[in-house]
Amino acid sequence: MSMSSLAIQTNEINLEYVEQVKKRQRMKNLLKGVLFLLPSIILFSAFVFYPMIRTIYLSFFLTNTSGVTTVFVGLENYINLFKSPIFLKNIQSTFLFVLYTVPATVIISLFLAIIASEKLKGIGFFRTIFSSTMGISVAAASVFWMFLFNPTMGLLNQLLKSIGVEPIGWLTDPNWALLSVSVTTIWMNIGFTFLVLLGGLQSINSYLYESADIEGAGYFYKLRRITIPMLSPTLFFAITVSIINAFQTFGQIDILTQGGPQNETNLIVYSIYREAFVNYQFGSASAQAVVLFIMILFLTAIQFKLGERKVHYQ
Amino acid sequence: MKKLFTMLMIGFVLLLTACNSSGKGSAETASSGASQGKQVVTFWHSMSGAGQETLKQIVEDYNHSQDKVQVNAEFQGTYDEALTKFHSVAGTKSAPTIMQVFEIGTKSMINSGHIVPIQTFIDAENYDISGLEKNIINYYTVDDKLYSMPFNSSTPVMYYNKDAFKKAGLDPEKPPQTFEEIEKASKAITKSNKGMKGFALQAYGWLVEELIANQGALLMNNDNGRSDTPTKVGFSKEEGKAIFEWVKRMNDDGTFANYGTNEDNMMAGFLAGDVSMFLQSSANARDVIDNAPFEVGVGFLPHPQNKERHGVVIGGASLWMIDGKPKAEQQAAWDFMKYLQTPEVQAKWHVGTGYFAINPAAYDEQIVKEAYGKMPQLQVTVNQLQSTKSSYATQGAIMDMIPEGRKIFETALETVYNGGNVDKAYDEAVKQFNAAIKQANAARGK
Repeated sequence: MSMSSLAIQTNEINLEYVEQVKKRQRMKNLLKGVLFLLPSIILFSAFVFYPMIRTIYLSFFLTNTSGVTTVFVGLENYINLFKSPIFLKNIQSTFLFVLYTVPATVIISLFLAIIASEKLKGIGFFRTIFSSTMGISVAAASVFWMFLFNPTMGLLNQLLKSIGVEPIGWLTDPNWALLSVSVTTIWMNIGFTFLVLLGGLQSINSYLYESADIEGAGYFYKLRRITIPMLSPTLFFAITVSIINAFQTFGQIDILTQGGPQNETNLIVYSIYREAFVNYQFGSASAQAVVLFIMILFLTAIQFKLGERKVHYQ
Repeated sequence: MKKLFTMLMIGFVLLLTACNSSGKGSAETASSGASQGKQVVTFWHSMSGAGQETLKQIVEDYNHSQDKVQVNAEFQGTYDEALTKFHSVAGTKSAPTIMQVFEIGTKSMINSGHIVPIQTFIDAENYDISGLEKNIINYYTVDDKLYSMPFNSSTPVMYYNKDAFKKAGLDPEKPPQTFEEIEKASKAITKSNKGMKGFALQAYGWLVEELIANQGALLMNNDNGRSDTPTKVGFSKEEGKAIFEWVKRMNDDGTFANYGTNEDNMMAGFLAGDVSMFLQSSANARDVIDNAPFEVGVGFLPHPQNKERHGVVIGGASLWMIDGKPKAEQQAAWDFMKYLQTPEVQAKWHVGTGYFAINPAAYDEQIVKEAYGKMPQLQVTVNQLQSTKSSYATQGAIMDMIPEGRKIFETALETVYNGGNVDKAYDEAVKQFNAAIKQANAARGK
């Protein structure tokens, strides 16, 4: 009796000891893990987490010109934003801009990627051309388009004149400005999206096509049943990145229209920039940034929820 | 995985060293000047193009003219960009000694608390500034204190195409003076010059401010913010709307050319003969006159017929003395500022750019006389300034939210250009303008 109870006791001690060793082991693993993560933790904290928390903090204050907080106003910055017809219009313009640019970019890039993935002689040349806009900076591309849009000497208006059509104020007419900026953006983004999609196409296993050929499937059948489903992870990635990019558009707006005419092209990021660095209202600029962050977060979450069901991972 | 980690670490180390070395670099340049026994003065400016060239020359001349002070002029981007940079380094070691700030940054500089009013230096040695252009000094004087040293000043003028005037049977030596005369001239020009519009007004808030001041109206209450912080706009509905209605009438006549907010496109349009008149800063005089393939005329800023001409508010920028620097460094900077005021330097500056000479004695210099012989238009800009009536209206508004206010005017103008309702656009603009004033006052904790 006493023997057995002793045994149980030692057993318990043993168990405790094992627990302890396990704990220590886990601790060690955790430390090791943290050590490996440390560089990215430091970088992310310095360049992402700290600014983000700071932005949220600032959005509850009014500030002076150096961005030092002066008056705590609670949610007033947010309330003012949603009461301001300009900000609501900026949101509307931003969504329109996303709608104009993302589907067009993805569809055109997909088309180019599909024709460029054919194995033909000299296809490398076309692949280089199609992806070339990736190598052009936003500033250079915007200036280039600004010349095309120029009301006096611009190529587009010269063309219109030569066929007897009244010239268009591409960047000054509120009906055209957002479209003009969208066209510029689509052109600029095609390079990157094309390259990503081409990479996706090339990694589709060729045995799928070979089996389909044996079955006697046609070109479009293969496209619909093999290419698109197999490409869906890449497509999903391209769409998500394009949407986030479109929400964060700044360079081409700053160079082409400065948010004009009539705030028609005043997209949120540009509006944040103006609010902070022209008007020196860092508080309400931060509030706008937080709203933008929540919007992108929300949309990306929805995308993952809805989009991922249709994505086929191998 | 291990490879990736090493790569990351290398990247991290590189990043650190990059930060380090850039810090070292600036320290080195700073000490190199001091090692020669010269007091180094850092001068941040926003002059590009012809202005930058001329300024560089002036700074070099100054550095060679004596052996005590070394001025390092550094271009910091546009006025807006430079001011943003300044606000983020103000109070630290990286702040410059002299900072060039555009006129509407005046209030924001005073509020920043990082500056020394120039008046301090003037009083310390009883320096005589009575020789400087009164209208320019007026702008930068707040509460009877000269806060910053005027440097590059300009006002808006009307540029016009003399050849187009001749073709339309108008006297090219008598540019239209009033809103109504411009409308009439625009009609005549549009009729007789194929493909040319009469008049262009860039959607630019500064021009609206000037057109308001020219009617003798205040932009903001409390004497344009000179006697107390403004709380709302200072112009009446009649005065403000006159500008919008004028543009609207020309737009309806089909004599108005809409270039939106883009100055370059408007200038290109003028030079290509697409439009015959436009308003723009006198600082562009050299560029326009040199590049036009036709004869360019320069006229005064127009005013409505039923209002007298009151004149223009000074635009451009001034030089600020930054606080928190050693006494010797500030004194050296002050010496450089005094050098800039001399008639010889101002003459060079005026002729090289089209900015005013802030020291009118410069107009008697030989190079100015020669330049006037070749370009009599340069003189018109000076005449306009000197015929300005001194008042709160032409002294110009002083407030920190003016950049925001300009954008509001620009949006309203564009709305009218594109066929929007004048009353609605105007009322909306005033409402937003007042809200911006209120917000700015609230942010100061008042």
